[in-house]
Amino acid sequence: MLKFALSSLIICIFSYGHAVAQASKIDSTGMVTLRIDPNSARGAAVSQFFDEVIFTPLETTKESLFGSINSLKIAGDNYVIYDWETKAVLIFTKAGKYVAKINANKIEKDPKVKDQSFYGFNIKKEDGQVLIEISSGKQIYYFDLTAKLVKKVPIVKDKQKDYTNYKKFSDGTIIDQAFLEESGKDSIYYNVSILKDGKRVESYFPYRTADHKGDERWHGGRVYDYGNPDEYLFVKNFYYNIYKLTAKKLSLAYRILFPASNSLPMDYDTNPIYKGKGYDYYEKNRDVFYDLANSYLHFNNLYFQVRNWNWSRDEKKAFIYNLKTTELTSIADIEPDSTSQFLPITDLASQYDFTNKGFHIVTPECFYTSYSSLTLFTAKEQNEDKNRKYNAALTEYFKTQNKKSNPIIIQLKPKKF
Amino acid sequence: MFKLNTITLAFLLSIACFTLNAQQATTVNPGTAKGIVRDTAQNYVLKSATVSIYKSADSTLLSYQVTNNYGEFSFKNLPVNVLLRLDINNVGYYTSRKTFTIPAGKNTIDLQTIVANRRDITLDDVVITVPPISMNGDTLEFNAAAFKLDSNAVVEDLLRQIPNITLWGDGQITVNGKEVKSLLVNGKSFFGGDMKQATQNLAKNAVQKIQVYNKSRSQQSTNPADSTLEMNIKLKKGKDVGFFGKIGAGYGTDKRFETDASINMFTPKMQLAVVGAINNINKIADNTRDLQSNSTFKGVGTNVEYQPDFRAEGITRPSALGANFTYNFIEKPTWELKNTLKSNYFLQDKNTNYLADAKTTTSVNSTDKVIDNSITNNQSSNTTQRFDSNYEYTKKGHNLNFSQEVNFNQGDNVDQTFRTATNLQDVLTSTNNSMNTGNYNNKSFRFGGQYRYSPYIITQTTRFRGFEANYNLNTYNNESDRLNLTEFKSFTGTAANQKFNRKYNTLAEGFRQELNLTIQDLKGLIFGNKKYSRMSFDLTNRLLLNSDKNNNRVQDLDTINNVYRTNAYLNNQITTNVIEETPGLRIRRSFSKSMSNRYYKSLSLTFHPKELLISQDNKSDRSFQNLKRNYSQFAPDVEISFYNNQYGETSRNYSLEYRTTLKIPNINQLAPLTDSTDVYNLRRGNINLKESVQRELSFSFYSDDQHSKNTLNYNFTLRAGLIANNIVDSLLIDEQNRRTVYLVNADGNKYLNGEAGIRKALKLKTSEFQFNLYGNFNTAINPGYTNSVFTYSSNLNTYYSGSVNYTYKSYLAVALSQSWSTYKSKQEAFNTQYSGKNVGTTLTASYNITKKLTLNSNISNNNSSSSNSKNIVYTIWNANLVCRFLKGNNAEVKFAALDLLRQNTSVINYGDANSFTIGRQNVLTQYFMTTISYYPRQFGKKAKAKK
Repeated sequence: MLKFALSSLIICIFSYGHAVAQASKIDSTGMVTLRIDPNSARGAAVSQFFDEVIFTPLETTKESLFGSINSLKIAGDNYVIYDWETKAVLIFTKAGKYVAKINANKIEKDPKVKDQSFYGFNIKKEDGQVLIEISSGKQIYYFDLTAKLVKKVPIVKDKQKDYTNYKKFSDGTIIDQAFLEESGKDSIYYNVSILKDGKRVESYFPYRTADHKGDERWHGGRVYDYGNPDEYLFVKNFYYNIYKLTAKKLSLAYRILFPASNSLPMDYDTNPIYKGKGYDYYEKNRDVFYDLANSYLHFNNLYFQVRNWNWSRDEKKAFIYNLKTTELTSIADIEPDSTSQFLPITDLASQYDFTNKGFHIVTPECFYTSYSSLTLFTAKEQNEDKNRKYNAALTEYFKTQNKKSNPIIIQLKPKKF
Repeated sequence: MFKLNTITLAFLLSIACFTLNAQQATTVNPGTAKGIVRDTAQNYVLKSATVSIYKSADSTLLSYQVTNNYGEFSFKNLPVNVLLRLDINNVGYYTSRKTFTIPAGKNTIDLQTIVANRRDITLDDVVITVPPISMNGDTLEFNAAAFKLDSNAVVEDLLRQIPNITLWGDGQITVNGKEVKSLLVNGKSFFGGDMKQATQNLAKNAVQKIQVYNKSRSQQSTNPADSTLEMNIKLKKGKDVGFFGKIGAGYGTDKRFETDASINMFTPKMQLAVVGAINNINKIADNTRDLQSNSTFKGVGTNVEYQPDFRAEGITRPSALGANFTYNFIEKPTWELKNTLKSNYFLQDKNTNYLADAKTTTSVNSTDKVIDNSITNNQSSNTTQRFDSNYEYTKKGHNLNFSQEVNFNQGDNVDQTFRTATNLQDVLTSTNNSMNTGNYNNKSFRFGGQYRYSPYIITQTTRFRGFEANYNLNTYNNESDRLNLTEFKSFTGTAANQKFNRKYNTLAEGFRQELNLTIQDLKGLIFGNKKYSRMSFDLTNRLLLNSDKNNNRVQDLDTINNVYRTNAYLNNQITTNVIEETPGLRIRRSFSKSMSNRYYKSLSLTFHPKELLISQDNKSDRSFQNLKRNYSQFAPDVEISFYNNQYGETSRNYSLEYRTTLKIPNINQLAPLTDSTDVYNLRRGNINLKESVQRELSFSFYSDDQHSKNTLNYNFTLRAGLIANNIVDSLLIDEQNRRTVYLVNADGNKYLNGEAGIRKALKLKTSEFQFNLYGNFNTAINPGYTNSVFTYSSNLNTYYSGSVNYTYKSYLAVALSQSWSTYKSKQEAFNTQYSGKNVGTTLTASYNITKKLTLNSNISNNNSSSSNSKNIVYTIWNANLVCRFLKGNNAEVKFAALDLLRQNTSVINYGDANSFTIGRQNVLTQYFMTTISYYPRQFGKKAKAKK
C-alpha cells in the first residue's frame, strides 16, 4: 500500500507541469527504493570485485599521439577510439599497437562544407566486414580497420534525422533524446523517445523551449549502455531515479534516497524559483547532489556516480551498490593489490577521466576504462621503493615511455555476483 | 674596494662552509620510518591524511607529510634512539597517535598499518591536535598551532618555518616557487594591502591558519594563465579585533633626532591607522604606507629601505602625519559581493637645505668644450596635504568604483646659483649669478568613476557580453610668486653684460576630463550566437578634453625710479584648449591547443586600429600665440601573446606588442615668450614644429617553474622604438656658455632598451640562500644640432646588480649586493666621448645575539669613476644594536652609529647627450643616536580582570 502511495506520489510529481503534453506514462510498478548514505561506503581490494586487470598502453608515435579517450569501441581485434582534442578516430590493436588514424584530412574536401571535423563514430558490420561509420558534412563515410575508405553514402536530404550516432536496440529501435513534435509555437520536445522504423513508439519528459527560457540549468538526461542489447539505463538531471529503457517502454527501476544534506528539493526541476539561480543554489549548497551519472548494472551490482560542487578528493562520489547485500563500496577506495599489479584501476584519486566518462564499455564479461600516462607514472613513482614486479608489457612501457605518452586502456574482468 | 670585496667573499665562503657542516651534521640522523594509514572500519586507506613527527620529549615538530594515493608515508633523516611521536590527522577523524623509537644500527622502522578512527559526529571547531599542513579542496592550509615558535613571533617568523614558502629579500612571497600576488587577512585587504603590514605585525599566536589558493583574475576565464596565487591569513576566533602600533623617539650627536608614532586598529569591518614622524636625518616617507611599513613590530632587519638616506641631496627635516581608514560594509566579501570604502589622509612638511658644487663639460664643436662650474645653495620648505578616498561596490557582474583626491601643496624657496664658464684653456669667459626667491600655492582635485558590467553567467544566448565606462576629472589651480635677480658678466668677446630684477606672479588653472567607453563582443551583440567569424570585436572610444589657462604677471625693476613696471612682453594671458578623440575597434582572435595532462597552449592576436584626432586651440594676449592646430594620425596597436604550460614542468608567457603614440608640440614649444633672465638657457620656439610619432615594439618573456623544490624563475623585456619628427634641441652655445635652445623636428631618433631578471632560492635544512640577478640597459641615438652642426649623440646606459641573501635559522641574516651602472655618450660630429661608472657594494647583516638582542650592520662602498676625472671612492658603514625588553618584547632601545668611517661625500656623476657632470653636494655625515621605542599591541579583546 505504502509502495503504491509513494509511486503514485512520484508519478504526480513527474506529471506536474507536463500535463499539457502528450507524454507516455512511465511504468513504476517494479520500482525499488534504495536508501544510500555515501558516508557509509566502504573500501575493498581489487580482487574482491575483479578477477583480472589488464593494462594496455597505447603506442605513442608522432602520428598516434592523442589527448584522451572520449569513446572506446571494440571492432574485431582492434580498439577504436575517438579523441575530442585531436578530433580523430584512432585504431590500435588489442595489444596497443598503433594501426591507423582517421581525421578530417582523411576525408575528401567538400567545398560546400566549411569544417569537416566529426565528433564520434560507430561500428557497423556489413557483409561480414567490420566498418567504422563516420558522419561528416553531407556524407556518411565508411572506413575499414586500416582506415581505408570503403564507401561513402550521402545523407538523405529530407526531414529525416541523421541517426548514425544514436543509441539503438538490437532490433534497430532508436533512442531519440531530442524528439520534436512540431506544431508552430506549441512545438514540444521530449527528453526520451523510442522510434521504430522512423515512427514514434513512446515519448517521455516533454517540454517546450519556452519552459527553460532564462534557465542556465540543463534539464536533459543521459542513456547508459550496460552491455544488454535490449535494455539501457536512463537518468534524468535533478532526480535520483534510475530508469530502464527497452524498445517498448521506459520504466522506473530504482529510486535512490540520499541523506537530506545531499538532496535537492523535490521540486527543484520544475519550481520557477530556481530558474536561473542554479549556480547560486549549488554555491550555497555544495554538498547537494545535482546529478546521477555513469550508471551500469552488472548482476547485483549497481554502479553510479553523483555530482556536487565539492571538489575535494576525499569526497566519495563513485559507488557500487549491491542490490542483494545492500553493501555500498566506494570505487575510489578499491585498493590496488596483486591482481592489478598494485596499480590503480581508475584515475579517481588523481585525474578526471573516470569521473567524466565512467566505464567506456560495460559488458557482463568485461569493463573498460582508461587514464593518462601521468596517472600511471605517478602511481609507479609512489611504488618505487617497494620492489614491485610488473608484467612484460608494463615493464617495457615504464622503460621506454614517460608521463606525456598516450593513455592506457584498463580492461577489468568483473566477478559475477 | 678590492679589499672590501675580498673580505665579503671570505665572509660568505665561511658561511657556506658553516652550512655545509650544518648539513652534514643533519645527516647524522639516518633514521627512516614508514607506514600506512587505514580506516579499518570502512576498509580503505586515507589518501591525503597529514602525518607529523614530533620529538616526544618536548613536542618539537621534526617533519610532516601528506599520505600518497596508497595511504602511505615515508620519512627520512629522523634521529635514531630517540623517542618520537607520530600524529595522524584527517578531516572527520580523531587524531591517531603513536610513539616509537628508531633502533640504532637498523636505522629504520616500519610502523605498518596505523588505524584511523572516524569521528561519528563531525564538529568543525573541535580540534584535538592540529596538523602542520592540510589540503582543503583546492586550498593548501598551514596551521599556525602546529609550528612552535617564540611567544612574540609574528606571521613572518611562521612563514619562514614552512618549507614550501620563501620570503624574499625584497618582500616578495612565493609558495612552491609561484609568486603570491595578494595577501588578505580574514578575506580582506589589510591596511592598504602592503604584505608587511600583516606579516610583520600580526602575532603568530593570533593566527589560526594560512591558506594559499589560486584565484582567477576574471570570473569566466578558464585559462590557467589567468590565475594568480592568493594568500589569506585566517585569524583565530575573537582575534579579529585588535590594535598594534609604535611610539619612539631618539636623540643624537649634531642635534640629530627622530620621533615616530603609529597606531593601527582593526575590527571585522573597520580598519583605522594613524601614523606620524618627524626627524632631521633624511628619513623621508612620501605616503602613509611607507611610514606604516617601517614601524612594524618585527623591525626592518636586513632591509635597508627606510633608513637615513646618506645619498639624498642636502639635509632634509621632514615631518609627516598620515591616517587611513577602511570600512567593509560586508564583513565577509567575496568576488561577487563587495562593498568597501577606503580613505587616506597624508600631511608632510619638509625643510631642505641643499648645497652643491658641480662641473659640467659640454662639447661645443669637434675641438671646443665649455666648462661650467656652478655652486648652488637652495633652502626650501614645502607642505603637502593629500586626502583621497575610494569606494567600491561589486554585485554579481556589476562593478562600480568611485575615487577622489584633493591635494594642497604650498611652500617657499630661496635658490642661489653662482656659475662661471671657462674654456679648455681655463680662461674665464663669463659669470652668471642668480637668486630666486619664491612661494607657491597649488591645489588640485581629481575625481574618477568607473562602471563595469560583465554578465554573471554567460550562456549561449547571452548577447550583451560586457560594457565598461570610466570617467576621470582633474582640476588644478596653481599660484606662484617669484623674484629673480640675475647678473651676467662677459669677459671675452662683445657680448654685453646683463642685469635683471624681475618679479613673476603666475596663476595657472585648468581641467582635464577623460571618458573611456568599451563595448565588448560587438559581434555577439548584433548577431547573437551565430558564428560568422571566430574573431571578437570590441568597440572602444576615448574622449579627452583639456583646458589650461595661464596668467603671467611679470614686472621689472625700473632702477631709476626704483619701482616695478609691467613687462609688456612677458606679461600675458593664454588659454589652451585641447580636444582629443580616439575611436577604435579592437579585433581579437584567440587560439588554444591543449592535450589532456600534457600541455595547454594559447595564442591570442589583438589588432586595435585607432584614429587619433587632436585639436589644439590657443588664445593669447599675444597675437602670434593665437594658434589653432589640428592633428590626426592613424595609430594601430598590435599585440601577440603566447602562453605555454607544460604540466608539471614550466609555464611560459611570451608577449609582443606594437604601439603608436603621437606627441604634439605645445605652445611653449611653438611660440613661447622667451624670458631673457635665463641667460644660460634661453628657450626659443619654432612655429613650424610638427607632431612627432613614436612607434615602439616590445617583447617580454617570463618563465615559471612548476617543480615543487628549488625553483628557477626568470624574465626579460626588450623594447625598441623609432621617433619620427622628434622634437629636439638645436643648441647654440657661445664661448661665454650662453645657450640658446631652438626646437626643431629631426628624424633618426632610435632607442633600444631592455631588462632581465632571474631569481633562485635554495632551501636547506636550517638555512636558506636566495640569489637575485637583475640587469637593464638603454641605448639611444639622439639627433640634435649644436652650433648649427647636425650631430647624432649615441648613449649607452647600463645597470647590473646581483645579490645573495642568506639566513641561518632565525639567528643570522646576511645580504650582499653589488651593482654596476655605467654611462657612455658619443658625439659623432665632434668625435668626443664621455663615460663613467658607479660601482656599489653593500653588505648588510643582522645577528640575533640573544632572543632580545640584535646587532645590525650595513656597509656600502661606492666607487665613481668618470673618463675625465679621478675616481671617487667612499664607504659608509652604519651599525646599530637593538635591545628588546618587557615580556611581550614591547619595548626597544636602539644605539645607532651612522657613517662610522666619516666618508660620506655624496658625489655627482652623470652623463647627458653631449655633456657630463661631476661634483659634490652636501649630505648627511657621521652621527650617533639612541632611540627608545614602545610597541603597544593586542589581538583579541582583553580578558576581563578576575574580581
